Amino acid sequence: MKLHWLGRTALTAYFWVFVLFLFAPLAVLMTFAFNQSMSPTLPITGFTTHWFHQAFSDTVLTGAVGRSIEIAAATGLFATALGIMASIGLSARRLRLRALIIAILLLPLVVPYISLAVGLLVLLNQLGLHISLWAVFLGHVVIAMPFAVLVILPRLRSLDPSMMEAARDLGSNEVTAFSLVTLPLLMPSLVSSFLICFITSFDEFAIASFLAPPGQPTFPVFLYTGSRAPGLLPELIAVGSLIIVGSLVVIAIAEGGRRWAERRLQGVPAEAAAPVDSGVPVLQI
Amino acid sequence: MDVPGVATGGLARRRPRVRVVRLRIGRGTLVIPPLGIVLLVLVGPIVLLALYSVNLRTNIPGTPTAFSGANWKDFLTGSANPFRERFFYSMKITLLVSISATAAAYPLAYYLAFIARRFRYTLLLVLIAPFFTSYLLRIIAWTDIVLNNNGIVNQTLWDAHLRAHGNGISWLLYSNFSIFLVLFYAWIPFVSLPIFAVLENMDHQLIEAAADLGASRFKAFWTVTFPMSLPGVIAAFVFVLIPTTGEFIAPLYVGGPNNQLFGNEIQAFFGDSPNWNYGAVLAVALIVVVLVLMLLFGRFLNTDLRTQRGER
Repeated sequence: MKLHWLGRTALTAYFWVFVLFLFAPLAVLMTFAFNQSMSPTLPITGFTTHWFHQAFSDTVLTGAVGRSIEIAAATGLFATALGIMASIGLSARRLRLRALIIAILLLPLVVPYISLAVGLLVLLNQLGLHISLWAVFLGHVVIAMPFAVLVILPRLRSLDPSMMEAARDLGSNEVTAFSLVTLPLLMPSLVSSFLICFITSFDEFAIASFLAPPGQPTFPVFLYTGSRAPGLLPELIAVGSLIIVGSLVVIAIAEGGRRWAERRLQGVPAEAAAPVDSGVPVLQI
Repeated sequence: MDVPGVATGGLARRRPRVRVVRLRIGRGTLVIPPLGIVLLVLVGPIVLLALYSVNLRTNIPGTPTAFSGANWKDFLTGSANPFRERFFYSMKITLLVSISATAAAYPLAYYLAFIARRFRYTLLLVLIAPFFTSYLLRIIAWTDIVLNNNGIVNQTLWDAHLRAHGNGISWLLYSNFSIFLVLFYAWIPFVSLPIFAVLENMDHQLIEAAADLGASRFKAFWTVTFPMSLPGVIAAFVFVLIPTTGEFIAPLYVGGPNNQLFGNEIQAFFGDSPNWNYGAVLAVALIVVVLVLMLLFGRFLNTDLRTQRGER
């Protein structure tokens, strides 16, 4: 049923006002990254790229960004690998305690990060270990893995089982059939999974704030302490703008690439391959 | 293709069944590594926290460890326990944010599903893209540029001579308003998703049928579309409710001393003033609350993992 034109206009306006509301703070941040003034306040005093230069020469800042990228990349790889294992395991026709296994695998989605963070701190203490970036990495793998499962499993289920059977009939064993047939078909979801896990880790503050050792902050931890120091704010805003632009570009490319790849791999139109049928659609980005 | 040890087993037609059995063993075992990691890194710490909360372990040197429910008793029944009061304050904010965000997101999802037909997936992506940019950076943009005393909002009001210069609005930061705004802002992109998914997969013929039977546009919406979209609405609500319940980052920036949330209390017990035994009570209580919420609402989340191929 067609909506009245007035309703359509109102809803359209509402939507775009919200988009403006959502992007305004990001746009503001990027604008002030180029502002000459030390403090990010109006009026805009002049254009400069000084803060970017200052940010890139601040080794503590670049070190924190580098650390976060390393942990996030490792988290993306490990969580995706574990996600593949879990997805294949869960797609077994018969699996004892399936409901319980699913519940445990998805538990990290609901346990508050703050509780997990302090729990890990207590665990390390119990084991006589010091806080370390390894602990941050492990924490991140656990919170990211459910996203990997939620992205990979629906894709695995959507594959035509006859393709695997064909490979088996042609004489390949299960491992070969998996690596030659299933894995390439899963690739779009593996890339999505990697990116989601990467972002989850890169942006994570609670666990890192408790487990990153002093002197080895991840980027969010550095951002938190640094944003309390007015002198650091301009360069944080500069780096922050770059990170925001980077995230938006990656999201756009990932989504575009995913639609393209699924269209090619399955011969379905982008519409049908779009992420709306899995119950947790956002996770398919 | 012979399966080792089976080929001699006799009838050829029995082979496929044997193969299925072998497959089951091979594949199912693959859940062990991911399961093990969750048990070690997530369930283990929670169990340990539970032990701390009943004083079976302690970080305070020289304190004897023996089972004691004193901390739990104090938290749950102590008169005017500040942490319990903080918890109820937190839940109020959380509920307010969840309800507002869900209500505000409904028209967004409706627009995407019913009006923005051709570009709906692209627009959906535009809507949720901010969710994937750094949470801390978004909060910093609000705190240090938009809402602060000489931030954009106040400056604009001054320039427009709506307020005396230098006289900023005091409740823009460190208030219930700022906590609400930042959390609402953070979650609204994500919230529209489950609602959109439900509206998108709805049988549009039912709505047309309502119209054909003489229902007005509003009545068709209210009696057909809206009730059918309720699972998505509840899922959206839970999508905000659960993570916001443990929120502690936003109050660090935009909360004053009176607007800290329950998560901040936990943080303090494990940071500035270490009393892990009492802190563990709060941390475990938070987990329990979230798990109860999950049990109440979880079935609406439809993570779709249990359905087998083709049964959707």
